[in-house]
Amino acid sequence: MRLDTHALGTFHEMAREGAGIAAGRLTGLAEVETRVGITKLNFVRGEEIHSELARGGEKVGVRAELSGGIQGHSMVVFDLDSARRVLETLLGDEFEDADPGEFDDMSRSAMEEVGQIINSGFVDGWADVLETAIDMTAPEFVEGTDPGPFLEGLNAAPDEEDMAIMFRSHIEAVGTEVAFTHYLFPDHENFAALLDRLRESEGIAYDKLVGFDRLAQRGAEEVADNITTMTGFETSIELRRLNFVPMSAIPQELGNERLIAVAFEFEGTPSGYLVFTFDRESAETVVEGMLPTPPEDPFGEMGQSAVEELSNIMASGFLDGWANVLDTNIDHTPPEYSQDMGSAVMDPIVLQFGDSQEFAFVFDTHVKAADREFDVEIFAIPDEEDLERALSELDVDRIEDEPIEAEFPIEET
Amino acid sequence: MKTYGSEPGAPSPEQVQVGISEFVVSGDSTTLKSYGLGSCLAVALYDDEAAVGGLAHVMLPSGDEANGQARNPGKFADTAIRAMLRRMVEEGATYTDVEAKIAGGSDMFEFESFGEGVGDRNVEAARQELEKLGVPLVGEDVGGEKGRTVEFDPTTGLFRITIADDDVDGEGVTEL
Repeated sequence: MRLDTHALGTFHEMAREGAGIAAGRLTGLAEVETRVGITKLNFVRGEEIHSELARGGEKVGVRAELSGGIQGHSMVVFDLDSARRVLETLLGDEFEDADPGEFDDMSRSAMEEVGQIINSGFVDGWADVLETAIDMTAPEFVEGTDPGPFLEGLNAAPDEEDMAIMFRSHIEAVGTEVAFTHYLFPDHENFAALLDRLRESEGIAYDKLVGFDRLAQRGAEEVADNITTMTGFETSIELRRLNFVPMSAIPQELGNERLIAVAFEFEGTPSGYLVFTFDRESAETVVEGMLPTPPEDPFGEMGQSAVEELSNIMASGFLDGWANVLDTNIDHTPPEYSQDMGSAVMDPIVLQFGDSQEFAFVFDTHVKAADREFDVEIFAIPDEEDLERALSELDVDRIEDEPIEAEFPIEET
Repeated sequence: MKTYGSEPGAPSPEQVQVGISEFVVSGDSTTLKSYGLGSCLAVALYDDEAAVGGLAHVMLPSGDEANGQARNPGKFADTAIRAMLRRMVEEGATYTDVEAKIAGGSDMFEFESFGEGVGDRNVEAARQELEKLGVPLVGEDVGGEKGRTVEFDPTTGLFRITIADDDVDGEGVTEL
């Protein structure tokens, strides 16, 4: 099984089209204005999906089996609060009388209806894009606090070690804070055939996706260790995900919040941009952790250079992690610091790719400190052709043997 | 384009977000908003007599020089301005009454590879296209090193620009 960016672009179009139809139908049903948030294709290990379904307490989902143009399962999952808000909107007073702790028959059937409208919206959108017919079974209501009930009986659900391509879409009901995640678990063989049909170039072997995951993992581990060495904070990797998104969606993801960003350009195989973002509290924590006597203004010159210094070391660690996996050299520029709205910081970088690249693989990593206010988000946007080349040359057997633990000391560039 | 509920009976929103590479034309007082412009440029066109206007959130200077511009005119300054103007005339605007305001085009970073600021190039491309089409540019807030959020009333042409600014207690607001 091989894939290329054309096939992935088509999948992205399917997800976006599906989300649009689902949002439209939801608006008609619930009379709340809905908006399609960011749509992503994710490349994840099964264990990531398992841990995602294990986080955040009680959830409810509606799943259906697909046949025809796509075989597999489509599932929408709401956290409990979002599910309640949907039901309040749909059922009004009737819902308020019900026990909020559990789902009675009426609530279940209302959720099933909503879930099925969303699933069928997605499925109709995909069928449009693929110009094929996709059939869907009756909806099945699932609830629980762990992945068990959600993945039970799904042939296509990935095992913890498997790499999966996952569609992730958010539809927000404006003003009512309803969000959910949509999953597609395609059957392997059917999906391989679809990929072959959509592919326009040689592309890369599906097995090399494990290389993606290894890149994400090594980069994240190096960063987490660097932070601990420099500041003494105990850190953990909160999220590690590879997204395939349209260029224009990247700034949008960072939103309108003010943040501290430190950007690097890197060159080698691959080349691209690396951006670390901190919220203001986290930047203050960095300054306190890095300097023996923290300055009065953590965002002044001294604070800025402390954040730059930590970022510089994280960048070296991250890119060394990549270079080790890919067996190449990657150099980076000195840090560029900015304190501004998230999307404003990211759009100049996206612009540098110009019109040459419509989609990007974005390595999205979130490192958190255990015992204090510190989060850093890492966005790595490699040049698509460089990345494809690097991965094509990658010997998957070799990286399987690579030690997972990060090495010390880190090399300064 | 951002997808809104397109099924019949959907309520009309009070505020519409115009994302990167999108443009929206409207004949009602729905506020059009683009947030977090860095080097991107917001181009607002309006005919306040006919109460029709549009906002574009462009990413790159010239679609005429690029491939595939037909597919997404909202991505480039030149093609977005032409497409938006055409749509506005269809919605009842009078070509000769249309005026323009622009904001954005900052240079947030100084990487050597960035060369001459892409923000500047966006601003220059918009100015040239407006001049070519004979649309007067009546207000602008461009360049610098700060990100901007813009809100636009397409019926009156009121263009409100917000920047994140420590000097003025969090935010600085300009109205054009």
